[in-house]
This record gives sequence, structure tokens and C-alpha cells, in this order.
Amino acid sequence: MTDTSSTNIPISPRQAMIRRALRHKGLIFGTVVMAVVILIAIFAPLLTEYDPYKQNLLTRMKPPVLLGGDPDHWLGTDALGRDYWARLAYGARVSLTIGIVAAVISATIGCTLGILAGYFGGRVDAVVTFLINVRLAMPVVLVALAVVALLGGSLIVVISVLGLLLWDRFAVVLRSATMQVRSLEYIAAAEVLGASLPRILVKDILPNVMNHLIVIFTLEMAHAIILEAALSFLGLGVQPPTPSWGLMISEGKEMLLFESWLITIPGVALFFLVLAINMMGDGIRDVTAPEGRN
Amino acid sequence: MKLPNLLAASAIALSAGAMSAQADKADDTLRLAFTKELETVDIYFNSAREGILLARAIWDGLLYRDPVTGEYKGNLATEWKWIDDVTLELKLREGVTFHNGEPFNADDVVYTVNYVANPDNGIVVQRNVSWMDRAEKVDDYTVRIILDAPFPPAEEFLAGPVVMYPNEYYAEVGPAGMALNPIGTGPYKVSSVDPGLHYELEAFDGYHGDPRNAASIGKIDIRTIPDFNTQIAEFFNGQLDFLWNVPADQAEKLDAMGKYQVENAEAIRIGFISMDASGRADADGPMTNPLVRKAVAHAIDRQAIVDALVKGSSEVVHSACAKIQFACEQDVAQYEYNPEKAKALLAEAGYPDGFEIDFHAYRNRPYAEAMMGFLDEVGIKTNLVYLKYSALRDARSKGEVPFTFQTWGSYSLADASAIVGEHFTGGMLDDAKDAEVTAWVNEADSTTDKDKRIGLYSKALKKIADEAYWLPLWSYNVNYVMSQEVSYAPTNDEIVRFFDFSWK
Repeated sequence: MTDTSSTNIPISPRQAMIRRALRHKGLIFGTVVMAVVILIAIFAPLLTEYDPYKQNLLTRMKPPVLLGGDPDHWLGTDALGRDYWARLAYGARVSLTIGIVAAVISATIGCTLGILAGYFGGRVDAVVTFLINVRLAMPVVLVALAVVALLGGSLIVVISVLGLLLWDRFAVVLRSATMQVRSLEYIAAAEVLGASLPRILVKDILPNVMNHLIVIFTLEMAHAIILEAALSFLGLGVQPPTPSWGLMISEGKEMLLFESWLITIPGVALFFLVLAINMMGDGIRDVTAPEGRN
Repeated sequence: MKLPNLLAASAIALSAGAMSAQADKADDTLRLAFTKELETVDIYFNSAREGILLARAIWDGLLYRDPVTGEYKGNLATEWKWIDDVTLELKLREGVTFHNGEPFNADDVVYTVNYVANPDNGIVVQRNVSWMDRAEKVDDYTVRIILDAPFPPAEEFLAGPVVMYPNEYYAEVGPAGMALNPIGTGPYKVSSVDPGLHYELEAFDGYHGDPRNAASIGKIDIRTIPDFNTQIAEFFNGQLDFLWNVPADQAEKLDAMGKYQVENAEAIRIGFISMDASGRADADGPMTNPLVRKAVAHAIDRQAIVDALVKGSSEVVHSACAKIQFACEQDVAQYEYNPEKAKALLAEAGYPDGFEIDFHAYRNRPYAEAMMGFLDEVGIKTNLVYLKYSALRDARSKGEVPFTFQTWGSYSLADASAIVGEHFTGGMLDDAKDAEVTAWVNEADSTTDKDKRIGLYSKALKKIADEAYWLPLWSYNVNYVMSQEVSYAPTNDEIVRFFDFSWK
């Protein structure tokens, strides 16, 4: 007896996409890791009894349990005796907050400019292209360092600076994507039917460039997290005692040669978070636009 | 074998191999590193410890204080006597030459003293030189230094920061030229300077050798390596022979390896928190309220920080000076660790929920963060502003810093005037601007009556403690780590004397 159901029953595009998603190892890995990090960030207070800010100089630099440390602090304690797991868990909130909010700000700016430039073309496109060129001429890390040094490091400053610096890729990609969509017949049809401009942009164009937006969003989210870690490592990002993974690496580097786990733990966490976000982005691109795979 | 032990053993094995490959004794070169970039080698235009180390190698003072006995000895001067309260006559050593061959005589002393005593020339630490009015030549080898007013610690300063420059050379090249090609009479002459990065010294064959030893090691090679881990890595590889100011945790680990010599010595340096009592940074700021300053003092568990982080021979200090300094009154108000009392004082001062304030620091970031943790517990939220020393000093000079963790090494001078005089006499670093304290300190520094000085400093230091203008924190200690080939006995004044080094 032969099973013919899979070949004879037609499937919808959505079902096909779900099938591709379930077969995409990178997407599954990225999604699982991201989900774990998000859950840790949300439920941090339930996952540890320790306050990430509470120092105890009597229990400083206890190694993780795997290296012979105290079971009460399974990931050990830092140079001020703060529980390392608590700081890592609460630090996930900082990393994710910075990544998501900075990417949302960037996406808002970049999408608006990109879609307007792609839809209207002409002078609007020229102005937006000029703005993109100006932005691309500025080295992100140097500008971020200068602005944070000038305004002082804090969570809000870091998020704002990164949000205002990382919109260029959204604008470039969405401008091109909108130009392609703009020339399609259903847009012309919507215009002929008298649809308002906001309706065309939001209901007809935006959904059709959404896959590009999601991919760029994940890339820029990872970019923002890495930049925050770099700024914090240089002492210009999130300021102590806020638990940030970049700051944890910076604080641990003093004992790099003797207690290397102090930087290995947040370093590995940062590595996996960024890797997961990038794999998610790649996976979403492959699943939503399989023709674009390489 | 556990993983960390395996890694440590591998590092030791690798370093041992590397060390045998680079025996610095063979090329007679002692290699060490500076953590901070020195602004300039000209000692009158920098205030960094690194500058002091170089100065003690390159130049000579008129006098010399034996770091072990504390006895003053002649250096470029062989005899000295007070003609009156404000006139010091010195007989100069004959036959001394500068590194460039220029003979040393009274003209050099007169030129140097008159140059540095002139405020228009902008010497960075005025306290070191402002006590001198001028110098006068009596004959080629006799000079008189005329003071503005009686200044009891004059000998201490002549044995420390006041060094002699060659008059003809300095008149020609000025501070910029001296920074690039320093010329002195000291036991080491400078063979190359890459400003802020690299300094090479070589033993000066023509050194007079009394009372300081002539250099035993032929060459000193100093590089600026800001990251201490890199310094340790280079030490493991045999590219450095000597580490100084090694943080306590690393020193303990290096000592535990059993491969290196680790020495701990006291320092005159103390740590302190200075608070904007005079309202320079913020006229209505919380630090202008003595109750808030006392709350800060009660909030920080200094003993816990000493025990856990500072370690070594350090201890909590309560007076605004180092215990071994002359006239450093110890019977002053003490603020025990009591967070509940700190909260009550804050509430009484009108800050029941605490407040938020910038906290500036330039070194010992873990100590600063530990203090921030304690302050946070009583409701004082601090934003750490971590700057390079020169930038922070500049900001303090402009009165822009409300609350700062500082240290002061007193130029290794064993007199309270070297710290109190610098910070409480209305100068740019004076956050208190207390006219009464300033008057007492100025009077103390212009009388030769030792008992009277002690009494005046006692009053000043008691008031500083009563008003909590500063929170004195702890005395410092210095960890020195040396390869097995190096022989050096550190002294208790935080000065590394290159001429005292030798090979085993």
C-alpha cells in the first residue's frame, strides 16, 4: 500500500514555509537559544535567589562548581563577591533590551526613510540617499565612543546612540525592496482604486518587504549587542554596577591569566546569543524567501 | 589534574622555556613597564609616579634622604646651614658634570631655583617649589636659597622633588627639549625617549656616586604597557624582569607559583574620597551638607575593602595624611562602618531616599566599585566616571568634580605638608575651601617651631575630620614582582630606585 497523501494533497504557501522552518537546523538552533535567553531574562528573579548588585567581599572570586567552587554559587562569584549566575541572568535583560530597543529605533528610522525613498523616488530618494551616504561615512564605533564619552555612559544613552546609528542598512535594503514592490501591478491597482497613501505603504508595501525587515532587524540587534559589549568593555557603555555581559568581561579581564572563567562565562554567553540571533536571521531569510538562498 | 591547574602549569612551563631563551642578565638590561603614559619626562611638568621614578634616576637633588634611616645627606650639596629662618646656604659638590658634559656649579642651582620658583613658568605642582623665593650665587660652589617665609620641610623637598637642571642647556631647549632629551647629573643618562611609550636609560660613567650608589645594571628599558595582563604575560615570557604596583590578587597568584620573587612594601600614598564641601561643582549639591559627608563616611566599610581587595600591609586611615608623615595627627574623629547611621544622617540632611551623584575615579576601579556597592546600600546611587589621571586632575582643578576617589603619594615626602598643604590651602585641588584650615596650615608651614607645627596641623586635621571634608580610606602598599635573576630591596616610599638594582 502506498501513501500518496504527501504528493497528492496540495499545501498552502504558509504550510510550505512552516515545513521549511522545521527542517532548517540553523533556525531551530537560533530560535531555541534565543528562547532560552529570553526566558532567563524574564524569569531571572525566579532563577536565582541572589541580588546581582549585592556584593559580599568575604566570598569574592569563588570559581564555578565545575572548577571546584561552592555549590551555593554554581557559576562562582566575581571580584566583589556578587553571584555570577545572578549577574549573567540579569545581564541578559540588559543585552536583550539594548539589542531589541536599539534595533526598533533603527528599524523605525530606516524603514520610514527606505520605504519613502523607494516609493516616491525622485527628490525624496535623492535626499534619503544623501542621508544614507552621510551615515555610512561615519564610523559607528568611533562616533558611538565619542558621543558616549561626551554624554556619559548609561543604558539610555547607549540605546539612543546605537538606535540612531544603525538605521542605514534598514534604509538601504527597504529602499531597494520597495522599489521592486512599487512597480508591481497590485500597487498600481490599489492606486487606481483610490487607496490612500498610508494604506498603500502600510497595507500593501510593508507586508511585502517584511521578510527583509525581519532579517535586517536580527542582524542589527546582534550588532547592537556586540557594540554595547564593546563600549562597556572600554568603560564607556553601561556603567557599573549594572550587570551587563560586556561589563562583566571588562571587570573579569584583570584576572584574565589566573581566573579566566571570569571572562569566559559572559564571553560564551555573548557568543551564543549573537550566534543565535544571526542564525535566526539567516533562517528567516531562507524560510521566507527560499529563492534567495545561496 | 583540574583544568585551571593544567593551564597554569602549561603557562609556567612555557614561560620557563621562554625565560631561559631571554636571559636579560646576559645583555645587562633590566626591562620593566609603566602602566600610565607619562605626559613629559620633565619632572617639573608632570605629577605622575612614573615621572618621579625617572627623575630619581636621571637627576640629583641638592640633598638626599636615606630611605631606610630617614637621615638627610648631602647630594649635589655637601654642606648646608640655615643663615636665618629664610636663608639656607649650601656648599656644592665640585667635579660633578651633567650627562652632556656641562659642569655643575652654582649657576645651575640659581637658574633652576629661580626658574621653578617663578609662578609664570607654570610648574605643575606648585607646592613643591612655591616655598622658595629665589637663589643667589655666593661663589662658584656656594649658593643661598631665599625662602618666602620659614618653611620647615625645606630639606625634605630639596631631597625630593627639587632637582637641579643644567642652566645653559635648559635655557636653550626649555621644557620641550628637556622632555625629549633629558640631561641631569644622576646615575642614569637617557639614551632615547619615545614620548609616552618607551624610555631607554644607560648607566652614567661620570656619576659622582655619593651618597647614592652608581648604577650596577648597565641599561634600563622601560615601555608603556597599559594593560597589566599584558605586562604579566611579557613577564612570563621573559620580556620584562620587574613588575611594580602589581594588584594584590595577581601578586598572590604569582607568589603561589613559587617561580618569582614577590615583595610587598608600604607606601606613603593614601586613598581618600574628596567631597565638594565648598560647592564648586554644585552650590546646592548634597556634598555641601556635612551630614551627607558624614553619611558617606559611615556607609563605606573600609576595613572590609582593605581585607578583601587592598591587602598587604595596608590599613584603614582616619586622618588626611600618611601615618609616617611628620605632624600627621592620629587623634581625629573616626567614622565606623554603620549603614543604619548613614541612612539616618541622610534622612536628617533631607535625603531620606538618598540621591544620585557622579563618582569620579582614575585608578583601582575594583576599589571604586566596592565603595559604590556600599554607597548604593544606603541610597546613594553613584555613576562611575572613570578618567585618566590628567583628565581628572584637570576637571578637579576647574571645580567640576563633586565626589571623587583619589590617592596621593605625597611625592614620597615624609611631612604632612606634602598632602595637607596641597589640598587644603585654597588651591585648585582644595574642595573644602575652609579659611580656618587654610590659615592653620599656612601658619604651620611658615614656622620652624616643631611643636607649634604639630599643634597647628593637629587643629587642621581634626577639623578636616570633624567636617568630613575628606573620607580618608586606607594606606597603600606596593607589590613588586621580580625574576629570580634580579636583586632589589624595595623601600617604604613607593620609589623604585634603578641604581639600587643588581643582578644575582
